[in-house]
Amino acid sequence: MLKSARDSLHLLAIVAPGALFIVVFLVLPSLYLMGMAFTSTGPSGLPALPFSLQAFRELAGFGFLGWSPGNLYTLLRSVWQTFLATALVILLAYPAAYYIASRPTRWRPLLLLAVVVPSWTNQVIRSVGWMNLFAPGTPISDFAVLIGLTEPRMGLFPSQFAVIVGLVYNFLPFMVLPLYAAFERLDHAQVEAARDLFASPLAVFRHAVFPQTLPGLMAGTVLVAIPAFGMYVVTELLGGGKATMIGNLVARQFADATNWPLGAAGAILMILATVGGLWVLRRLGRRLGGDREVVL
Amino acid sequence: MSATLERSLRAFWIVLMVFLYAPLAVVVFFSFNAINSSARFAGFSLRWYERLFSNEAILSALANTAILATTSTVLGVAIGLLLGYGLYRYRHRRLAWLIWLIYLPVIMPDIVFGLSEMTFFVTLDQRFGILSPGLGTMVIAHVTFQVPFVALLVHARLLSLDPQLFEACHDLYASPWQRARFFILPVLTPAIVASLLLALTLSIDDFVISFFTAGPDSTTLPIYIWSAIKKGVTPEVNAIATLMIVGVFLVALSSLVLQRRPDPSDPS
Repeated sequence: MLKSARDSLHLLAIVAPGALFIVVFLVLPSLYLMGMAFTSTGPSGLPALPFSLQAFRELAGFGFLGWSPGNLYTLLRSVWQTFLATALVILLAYPAAYYIASRPTRWRPLLLLAVVVPSWTNQVIRSVGWMNLFAPGTPISDFAVLIGLTEPRMGLFPSQFAVIVGLVYNFLPFMVLPLYAAFERLDHAQVEAARDLFASPLAVFRHAVFPQTLPGLMAGTVLVAIPAFGMYVVTELLGGGKATMIGNLVARQFADATNWPLGAAGAILMILATVGGLWVLRRLGRRLGGDREVVL
Repeated sequence: MSATLERSLRAFWIVLMVFLYAPLAVVVFFSFNAINSSARFAGFSLRWYERLFSNEAILSALANTAILATTSTVLGVAIGLLLGYGLYRYRHRRLAWLIWLIYLPVIMPDIVFGLSEMTFFVTLDQRFGILSPGLGTMVIAHVTFQVPFVALLVHARLLSLDPQLFEACHDLYASPWQRARFFILPVLTPAIVASLLLALTLSIDDFVISFFTAGPDSTTLPIYIWSAIKKGVTPEVNAIATLMIVGVFLVALSSLVLQRRPDPSDPS
């Protein structure tokens, strides 16, 4: 009895600090923010009583001047830009991961590091880099003008194109790492067997490589799509008005107390969309993977 | 592998490296530009660096960045280490809910995380006069997102160990202190080093959460760069960014050197 009491105290002492930090400084604040979505908007945009569903009506687009689709567009654009960026990341990450895994063992850590290191620099700095490259008058912008992509004397940002490039740049390493892990464990006998059966390169990939790398692909998609959907920095710096995403919409409601309840309602929408996205990916993973175990 | 495939893979890799490093290279390159332009290079000059080191606001932002990163990393790794060990040691005690709790900051969009903390701290400050936004709240916020990552890393490392090692300690009558000193700490050293590097880079890479939990006197370098670009002041930005890029590359290099050291739990 005495021993188990001491044991409990020990457990409390080592688990409590971490658990307390997460509960007090993450769970409580999130619940507080979510609660705010069910209040009315006070005179200066701060939450006020009584409780109401006003913020959700506003989020759906109902305002003083009737219904407008602005917020809906922002949501759809977020989903579309996230999808596009994730698809491009997958296309670039597959050959990159395969390349690293096919090098001699001693080179692999260095090559992996080469992919990961740029993502260790602050995301604001990474965006500054693209702003430098896409500024008016740079060779890249001049080329874009030449082929008619952009107006003369204009840069390539702000634009949706710049946002997609920024998103792909930011999240590529999160896809390469899990895919590389999958390629490193690849059962080459299956690939050989497919080749011996005269499968085309596409068929080899489809039947022998893809199913084996699916768990890595799924893990990578979660690591890329969730933060991409909530992106704030890249869209704010490289996007301009026509490429903002739901994260920018939400954040704007909190700057200088514009409308906190509306922002909170937007945050709830973001969380629901994230959970929904995870659910869809899980279903997709199960369907594609058949009886293979897909960890999500 | 066919020769064509190998050649196209190599070409692809080179293009990828250009894509990954061009934005950083251009920042470093134009930080030495004699004029304020990122389109035309008009000769080598250190003028932006001179301006940088005579700018009080930037120097205090540099100090804040260093304080925030080191304080939160030390606290975050210490607390996360305990939590990760606790999760392993008491895994029979139904701590599954805690694992879920740990995944929360990993899957929650950082903008929602940052805004939650901002509204929470602002309200606490207005109602009770405690935790007014500043370096203190930033350290708290950073520790909160570092702890789960560290705990997961340490937990995974302990799970990969042979459970018989723990029994062997017990059979040899090791006191809890001896067990910690001569067994747990040594086998966790690689995980601790990895945690320190991870927590440090998480802290330096974060902008969104810092931005929303910062106070008027706790500007960090990324926040300074952010407001400078927003105001349209760009010349020194390339120079500050270059210093941060150099810092990150030094950390990357040290991680490579540290990883080359043999693993103490590896018998070979």
